[in-house]
Amino acid sequence: MIQADHLTKHYGETVAVDDVTFTVRPGRVTGFLGPNGAGKSTTMRMILGLDRPTSGTVMVNGAAYRKLPAPLRAVGALLDAKAIDPGRSAANHLSWLATSNRIDRRRVAEVLDVVGLSDVGDHRVGTFSLGMNQRLGIAAALLGDPETLIFDEPINGLDPDGILWIRNLMRSLASEGRTVFLSSHLMSEMAQTADHLIVIGRGRIIADDSVDRIIAGNASRRVRVRAARQADLVALLEPLGARAQRAADGAVTFVGLDSTAIGEVAATNGIALVELTPEHATLEDAFLELTHHDTDYRAGAVVGAGAGAGQGA
Amino acid sequence: MAVATFDTRAATLDPARATTIIDTFKAEWTKLRTLRSTWLTVGGAVLASVFLAGLVCAAQVSQWDKMSPSERADFDPTSTALIGVLFAAAILGSLAVRAITSEYATGMIRVTFSAIPGRRGVLMAKAAILATIAFPVALVTNLASFFLGRQILAGKHISMALGQPGVVKAILFGAMGVSLVTGIGLGLGGIIRRTAGATTALMLAVVGSQLFGIALPEGARKYLPGNALQAVTSVRHVAGLLPPGKAVGVLAVYAILAVSTASKLIARRDA
Repeated sequence: MIQADHLTKHYGETVAVDDVTFTVRPGRVTGFLGPNGAGKSTTMRMILGLDRPTSGTVMVNGAAYRKLPAPLRAVGALLDAKAIDPGRSAANHLSWLATSNRIDRRRVAEVLDVVGLSDVGDHRVGTFSLGMNQRLGIAAALLGDPETLIFDEPINGLDPDGILWIRNLMRSLASEGRTVFLSSHLMSEMAQTADHLIVIGRGRIIADDSVDRIIAGNASRRVRVRAARQADLVALLEPLGARAQRAADGAVTFVGLDSTAIGEVAATNGIALVELTPEHATLEDAFLELTHHDTDYRAGAVVGAGAGAGQGA
Repeated sequence: MAVATFDTRAATLDPARATTIIDTFKAEWTKLRTLRSTWLTVGGAVLASVFLAGLVCAAQVSQWDKMSPSERADFDPTSTALIGVLFAAAILGSLAVRAITSEYATGMIRVTFSAIPGRRGVLMAKAAILATIAFPVALVTNLASFFLGRQILAGKHISMALGQPGVVKAILFGAMGVSLVTGIGLGLGGIIRRTAGATTALMLAVVGSQLFGIALPEGARKYLPGNALQAVTSVRHVAGLLPPGKAVGVLAVYAILAVSTASKLIARRDA
């Protein structure tokens, strides 16, 4: 369990994390989604007591990280897979970590086995590929058998096999009842891995909900239409709140009305429809929609509801 | 949905116990001893220092016949044979620099500080371990240098013996000086955080202070770390240098200042 309460971090004039409040709960994978530079890594460093918050607090399992009696037994983290001395062997890296938190040395072999590095445990880390480094970093996070796990962009630079492996591992960890907090800037990945999402943009939380509800609530429904009198249809639908976008092949995509409403308007006005296709909403749509609002808010633009969203050219 | 394919639970793990500074010491010791570069550096320091001692003593022998009687009278064979102390201090001092800057370079410092949030303890452990390794290494180096120097200087019937006044003290103080320089190196590493910058600073402090010390008033020069390091192995009094015991004290003050400043900064800064 991770609880952030009005967490804020300034670096000089820059506000990296701006009054953030959220809770990461056990038994599910919570994704921490946002573009690069949104404040994800800074937040994670504050959770681990590495960076001091400018104001606000963050607790792990009910205590400030720095007050945990044996931190690796409570929290495992992987911030940067390459942050390991290349001259030490994988087993020796895990060995000093185990020693620092009174973890039995037998656990070193155990976690090497979990991540599939048993055969190369005595190889120097400098000889490892990025994927192997990621696995070693995950082994280090699992070392203390902690209830809370934090991973910063764990799939960056991995091949498809590696991505699948990490995804399954995250799900396994959550199903074992652990708290899994995982950051990414890749929306597609989050849609497949996370149960719950905390979306951050420019240091602020812009959504904190289940993946399903975020998609349902924030993704604009898009409907692709081809019609005999297309210009007339656009003229009829726009006053009803639909925004039209012309596709390259001559079709029109409407945002803001569903296919039922569009079909009814076409029927009552005697317009023959050639195509009426609802497009599946994705997390990506939801994310763009969310950050779109955030940008408007930030820029202080005066955008009334339904005011012409300049979708020019 | 993906079936759980992992069993990540620990098979056998004792209940968590609060960690202590002892665990920090053990962890830092494991870190240092599991790097091959540590032992290469230590071995290099011994060989380079003894080799240099032999070279300088051989040079003295070849100069001996041209030296005036007063120059011969001022000649301090023990201090000459222990010239390698400067080398050992520079090499082991830069090992101490890297004991912390290499962690900043790779980013492993964040792994360290999340495993051990007591950052001052981490620095204390590093300082104590480095100084404890450096002392016996420098002691062995000094003894080897002394006996090698004695062999070479015997060619000109320059007598050297452990029993002569001040000789054992010079060998011991020389080792202490090297040990304290590792503290200065670690402190500079913690303050500066970059290997190149901190190593340069250390070299300026240990070797360079004889050069730019000229800018200081004469009474202050002898308190520079480099001059103090030169003084720790002297058996005869040399004008402009502190007595060896005081010189060790001065180095200790520098080491404590460097480590405690680094400790304060590291505790306060974001990792």
